[in-house]
Amino acid sequence: MSNAAVGALFTLLCLLPAALLGQNSRTGVVTGRVLIRPDSGDATPAGGASVTVTGTALGTIAAADGRYRLNNVPAGASTLHVRLLGYRTVNHALRVRGGDTVVVDVTLQSEAHVLSTVRTSALPTDVETFVTRPNVATVTMGASALAGVPSIGEPDVIRTVQLLPGVVARNDFNTGLTVRGGEADQNLILIDGFPIYNPFHLGGLFSTFMDATVGGIELISGAFPARYGGRLSSVLDVRSRDDARPGVHVSADLSALAATGRVGGAFAKGRGTWSLAARRTYADAVVTAFTNNVLPYHFTDFHGRAAYALPGNWRVSFTGYSGQDVLDANFAELEADSTPSRAAEGNWAVDWGNNVFGVALAKNFGPDAQVPLFGWSLGQNATFEQRVSTSNFSTLLNVADGAFAERNQVHDFRLAGSLHAHREKHDPSLGYELATHRLRYSSSSSQTGTTDFDITQHPTSAALWIEDLWRVSSRWIVDGGLRAEALTGRDWAALSPRVTVKFLATPELAFTLGVGRATQWMQSLAGDGPLRYFDVWVASDSFTPVSAAWHWVAGVERRIPNGSVRVEGYLKHYDRVMEANWSEDPAIRGDEFFTDEGRSYGVDMIARYQPATGLGGWVSYTYGVSARSRDGVTWAPGHDRRHDLDVVGTWRLSRYRLGARFGYASGTPYTAIVGEIARRVYDPSRDRWGTGDPPIYVEPLGGPHNGARFPANHRLDLDASREFHVHGGIVAPYVSVVNAYNAKNIFIYRYDYSTDTPTRKAISQFPIVPSLGVRIDF
Amino acid sequence: MISDRGFARASAAAVSLLVAVSACEIEKAGIPPTASMVSLHGVLSASASSQVVLLERTRNGTVRMFAPPFDLADPIVTDEGVAESGALVTLTTPDGQTLTAVEDSRVRDDRKGEGIYRFSLPGSALIADGNYQLSVQTVKGETLAAETSVPEGVAVAVAEQATFDRSRDTVFFEWPKSPGARSYFVRIETPFGPRSFFTDSTRVRLPGGLRNVDLTVLPHIFIPGFPQAVTVSAVDSNYYDWFRTHNDALSGSGLVNRVRGGIGVFGSLVRLRYVEYEVVAPQTEAIAGTFNFVGTGLEAGTTPYLALHLYVESPSSRSDQGDALSGRFERRVTFTPPNEPIDGLLGTVKQGKVELSFLRNWSSTDTVEVFRGELRGDTLVGSYRGFGGIAHFVKQR
Repeated sequence: MSNAAVGALFTLLCLLPAALLGQNSRTGVVTGRVLIRPDSGDATPAGGASVTVTGTALGTIAAADGRYRLNNVPAGASTLHVRLLGYRTVNHALRVRGGDTVVVDVTLQSEAHVLSTVRTSALPTDVETFVTRPNVATVTMGASALAGVPSIGEPDVIRTVQLLPGVVARNDFNTGLTVRGGEADQNLILIDGFPIYNPFHLGGLFSTFMDATVGGIELISGAFPARYGGRLSSVLDVRSRDDARPGVHVSADLSALAATGRVGGAFAKGRGTWSLAARRTYADAVVTAFTNNVLPYHFTDFHGRAAYALPGNWRVSFTGYSGQDVLDANFAELEADSTPSRAAEGNWAVDWGNNVFGVALAKNFGPDAQVPLFGWSLGQNATFEQRVSTSNFSTLLNVADGAFAERNQVHDFRLAGSLHAHREKHDPSLGYELATHRLRYSSSSSQTGTTDFDITQHPTSAALWIEDLWRVSSRWIVDGGLRAEALTGRDWAALSPRVTVKFLATPELAFTLGVGRATQWMQSLAGDGPLRYFDVWVASDSFTPVSAAWHWVAGVERRIPNGSVRVEGYLKHYDRVMEANWSEDPAIRGDEFFTDEGRSYGVDMIARYQPATGLGGWVSYTYGVSARSRDGVTWAPGHDRRHDLDVVGTWRLSRYRLGARFGYASGTPYTAIVGEIARRVYDPSRDRWGTGDPPIYVEPLGGPHNGARFPANHRLDLDASREFHVHGGIVAPYVSVVNAYNAKNIFIYRYDYSTDTPTRKAISQFPIVPSLGVRIDF
Repeated sequence: MISDRGFARASAAAVSLLVAVSACEIEKAGIPPTASMVSLHGVLSASASSQVVLLERTRNGTVRMFAPPFDLADPIVTDEGVAESGALVTLTTPDGQTLTAVEDSRVRDDRKGEGIYRFSLPGSALIADGNYQLSVQTVKGETLAAETSVPEGVAVAVAEQATFDRSRDTVFFEWPKSPGARSYFVRIETPFGPRSFFTDSTRVRLPGGLRNVDLTVLPHIFIPGFPQAVTVSAVDSNYYDWFRTHNDALSGSGLVNRVRGGIGVFGSLVRLRYVEYEVVAPQTEAIAGTFNFVGTGLEAGTTPYLALHLYVESPSSRSDQGDALSGRFERRVTFTPPNEPIDGLLGTVKQGKVELSFLRNWSSTDTVEVFRGELRGDTLVGSYRGFGGIAHFVKQR
């Protein structure tokens, strides 16, 4: 039976209980969706909005997609009261008939309209959840907050995440996320809750997320809840934007990097939304059109999203993503140089790509819902969800038409389900996750019939988790969970407890604690270098152990008018963290990784200020220390950046939007080169040593591993745009300047020991990079 | 150099590309010299007439490197090395003998061969599966030590000869399994540099259109007109691990080094197969074929080059580029070097205009003469950069 058939059958079986539940005829149901309409742009879901029925004890919090449901609403006239901090409260008259369901969609308007502002659309959610959840190590951010942050070429959500507390960027060229001392492959990156592997283009310079499709992000940088597993460091969930406007709407973005188009809208009176988006770089086309040369590289992204509210309080959503990088280079085509002839030169082809497709089916229940067979009440309301997804990643390096080929492929098919209930004191949840993986990492030559190595793996992972959000009192909130995981291929199983606690000293001041264990069984062979060009994924098996880490987090958060200040300390201890072994023997299994111990600790702070008007933004500072050790030797990993400060500000004034970001960071470790060795080659045909033909090959000799540090770096980025209203749409040209004062930040050093005065050249990160673009929205 | 991890090589290329496109050199500063190490390269070969160990120092910024024309008799000094001279190098054999190497520069009249230490131990006397221990003591008192074990197998002394039509042939090699071998080392000599790789298999095929992935521009391996040797050797783990690994360009680590007290390799090799191919291809194009010198009696008596055998090695990929040519030339034999009667040539032809580089030792990096001319019907007319005068070569029918 195929994976798809198993998934369908399993989903049907899990949905069966839902059909057994019913309603009271003297009451009705009120359901719908709460949206917020910012001063410009799309309406977005108002997750976290409070929805109550005046004069009753009935109430709920709108889900992340804005949907809500109230059961047992007394028949007759009443008032629906919807509120969300920063927006005008709405009182909507209701008339409910017994046994009927009334659909009420509410759109909230911001408090001020004279001067619009950029705000985090999730900030009100943060405020609401401040008193209802521990929310340890969690930052959420909406699309409007992501907009206006200066960027290279075009907005990139991953680069904005790099400006958050606890997150360190290795350098300008690297979109990898180092979260509280963790390696870049230790982050669970999700798109609408579905995993995506290697979400990067051009060797890590840009992420795969198109700005036009991003509705918001949630970053959990430690002690994450039991529902998440498989990674050691963090969870980053990038949520797609749902277009709530009826009709068909088109937007486009032409930047210095790429052209992006998006079309979408709402249908069926708001019950459904859909969007399609595509992006392609065009530098190759420009070069071909205007010169005789060839730029053999481009990348493309496609994104699709649809959601629909089905009858009976069901809702279904689809998310799809596909991206591809293509680098096909024939050096003979790259130069207009006929002497000597380049005719004889062959092809390099590097292709890599991602695709993700996921379906989520959910149903909301009212207070009469019970667990089948057991008769347990589910409380005031409950949500039951089933998810099916497939994630695929592949990289292929093909040199000279099969003379040499190296490939890495990851196929992930996943079933997941959960049941969340809301009760007076407890919000229990339980869920499962079942995933089959197929991985292949191979190197061979089809032309010579030789294979260096061919690793194929077919592990299956399973997880059961349970959580309970316990409102102990008006001051104490505890979120505890337990995750049980197992993995075939290594016959491994483990329990990972997760607990977070919040104490509300006052409604504005809270202290938090969190502790949890995380595990990871998919590792990358990318190594510790400054660039993250290729993630090569290998699963834990009989040769490679499962990594594990403990997180401890303690913090304090203070709400201030229109913002908050949060300080968190953390400690991570890695029982096992896998480090790629660059000397591994391709013919031997089991030497691909070293097993290190690791420890990271530090403090990070974020101060956010986002009033309704004027200047808004955040300041984040991270102090972190990371160390790795093996066989009695300790060293600092390449991402060990002690100090990282980011100041981000955006200012919306009338139709202008200004943005700025200043960053200051202390230097990361590097290995100094202390000499060079001539690699002499033995010629077996003539039994002689000779490297005069070709010329000598020289390799660097490294000193103490990561024993030196780069100097500190700093950079100012600026962004400005203006909106023009044209025929009912918006045209917004923008200009961005990265590294506005051309700071000389060092990327790497190049050494030369071939003279009697050795030298070291510093190679820079990005110089000043201006870029132009235009956004169009109809 | 031997390809190891393709993604690693591509990554290094990506770094270079990224740096070239977006990064800048922002400062260049002098740094203090560092301490040098002794670097050792030694391979016990079962087919060699004597065993050689190279000793030199790693570069540390105290010696300016020069690159005079490469001399096989002086591979360290003429190839940007700092030879370590005067060391005591001994080899202890499995049967307990201790041999002392003699540095070539001590015995050669021309004093070439600094850092080249030679044991009078023919490959045929090597004991398979026995442990050989190398010991080095430098003039400064540094000591190095390493061991190797020679794989079993019968070493091929003399090359087989064969003709290989690149356009249609595929070479199939098979060899017997060699106990004690860690891997098998396949190497193909080409004008642009060798192509080499390891395999655990005991068979390999080499199609005529195969490209050299050891070189960035991926030229063909088999070049018409050239004699090209192919060897397959059983190697020990020291040889295998040293030559399959590299130091990363940025971290300077990755090499597997088993030389104690220094860095380098002391390994063993048994040449199991050795074939020398005369590579040919169809000569159907106008420029392809044998062109013989034609001239007056005086010209014929003095011209240095007597015949050209040309092939179109690769047609061009662009309309503004020429086709690549390859082949060989016949030279008048003289008493002054270079005096090989036949050697290789590479060149281009574009719209009848021809440029040929005459090589030394069949190597693309060593050009002794350049001929520029044009094809007029069946006659190639042109002049040499060095020799002067006009030369005519007529195509042989």
